[in-house]
Amino acid sequence: MLILGLETSTARTSVALVEQDHVLASASLSKPRMHGRYLLPAIRFCLDQAGVDVDRIHGVAVGLGPGLFTGLRVGIATAQTFAAARQLPTVGLCGLDVLAFQVRYSRRPICATIDARRGELFWAFYRSSPGGVQRETDLTVGRADELAAEIDAQGEEVLVVGDGVLAYHEQLDVPRAELAGPDVAWPDAADLAELALPRFVREETVRPEQLLPIYLRQADVLIGWEQRGRLRGGVPQAPTA
Amino acid sequence: MLVLGIETSCDETAVGVVEDRLTLRSNVIASQTELHAPFGGVVPEVAARAHLDQLLPTIDTALVQAGVHLSDIDAIAVTSGPGLVGALLVGVAGAKGLALAHDVPLLGVNHLRAHVEVAQLEVGELEPPLVALVVSGGHTSIVVMDEDGSFRQLGSTIDDAAGEAFDKIARFIGLPFPGGPEIDKLARDGDPKAFAFPRAMLHDGTYDLSMSGLKTAVIRDLRRMEAAGEEPDLADVAASFQEAIVDVQVVKTLRAAADEGLDQVVLAGGVAANSRLRSRFAAECESNGQRLIVPSIPLCTDNGAMVAASGANLLAAGFTATDDLDVDPNMALAG
Ligand SMILES: [Zn+2]
Repeated sequence: MLILGLETSTARTSVALVEQDHVLASASLSKPRMHGRYLLPAIRFCLDQAGVDVDRIHGVAVGLGPGLFTGLRVGIATAQTFAAARQLPTVGLCGLDVLAFQVRYSRRPICATIDARRGELFWAFYRSSPGGVQRETDLTVGRADELAAEIDAQGEEVLVVGDGVLAYHEQLDVPRAELAGPDVAWPDAADLAELALPRFVREETVRPEQLLPIYLRQADVLIGWEQRGRLRGGVPQAPTA
Repeated sequence: MLVLGIETSCDETAVGVVEDRLTLRSNVIASQTELHAPFGGVVPEVAARAHLDQLLPTIDTALVQAGVHLSDIDAIAVTSGPGLVGALLVGVAGAKGLALAHDVPLLGVNHLRAHVEVAQLEVGELEPPLVALVVSGGHTSIVVMDEDGSFRQLGSTIDDAAGEAFDKIARFIGLPFPGGPEIDKLARDGDPKAFAFPRAMLHDGTYDLSMSGLKTAVIRDLRRMEAAGEEPDLADVAASFQEAIVDVQVVKTLRAAADEGLDQVVLAGGVAANSRLRSRFAAECESNGQRLIVPSIPLCTDNGAMVAASGANLLAAGFTATDDLDVDPNMALAG
């Protein structure tokens, strides 16, 4: 069973072809705002180098975020149309789950973080479980000092991973936190595909149109609104959706 | 030869299918107008989210209406600019997934060119040279399509697009978004000569346009009347404002045609749906002996068929895009 993994929800663009329990091919680029350009060449590189034709792909796994909105939509749009066109099943995974999965052999609690920009990060807490990790909290968006307080409240040392660590190193460097480095800073498509593979085996898949981004934040419609609202017609309300 | 075109540059998720460059097979538009209406304008993040929600269903509907399967499609065309970057990226990423799935060529389409070239679906092969006014909520440009099919931009708005000016004045006088159709309707009962609003840059010798002075003048006059306790006749305001916008566009476009010695004029883009703009262009072109080409309204507003048509022209000319096709929010109208 051959799975194509796509992960574009952080500054990194990552593609992998995973077969059963090994990574057949992978390609990553850690240069921001390159998702739109790099994703298709990276997929083509993996297919060409592995000598695989698209009709051998059994399913598509894609990162749903949370992360950078513009990037994660690139991965999801490509996964949706490719899978729909080839009539393939799909699995969407949370990038924080993938990050925690990347350090699944840790005995300590794991906190996965993703830089949400504008002074905030996304996070969730995990524990390792047989064959993977178990998420123990809701997905959260908040400031680094709020996360530092939560880590302190854990009562034991926590392994903190993700690019939130790189962006907020000082604020997160509290006594109970062990901060991981850049090697586990971004969710990787190979780990994503590996994590998704059992779901394809168990047929716990969704249709391409059911792949929906995890935004955790509303669309920022109020930016620039104060200026626009000067004119008559009233200041409108933010949409509830 | 079937080309599927995807358009997500602004606030319409649109997909069309064109056969052999000139035949429209389907044209499906999922409009986001209602999502943006509360804000009186297009909100980029709201637009990008809605594009992703609508992309697959719109592709599906366009294929069904064209009576074809995705595997029958020979090439995928997509707007790669100009437009909103986050919105464009959804369409381009989606187009790449389709092109990869069936190993067909990818075509990167310039949205402004597509607005002009879509006319070939209704009047048949265009016979350039011709001049075109592309006017909508996102752009106001006067362009020339030369004999070899290449485009030159002669001028464009230096501030707001015409559609934006309509939206802003509509909002100011309490009309809903989008403002163009509302002003058009209200203006029918008004006197276009009631207010002498300025015609900016009318005689400056360029083909550039400006809307901000006009907008300021309308707002200033309304505020002055309000302060003086006068009740303005909003129909007169709408008619006079619309007439000023129409005047500048007609004069500048037809001067460009005269200067370039061209006797064909294409009126394209969403604001080409404005009834006054259409009738003024029709009257002036007739008296000048010029041929006026105005696509029907579903092909004037942003749509996927125009992208498919323009893409089909690119394919015929051998211009396919590479896998690393990027979006260009400020794409110029070159080549
Ligand atoms: Zn347009």
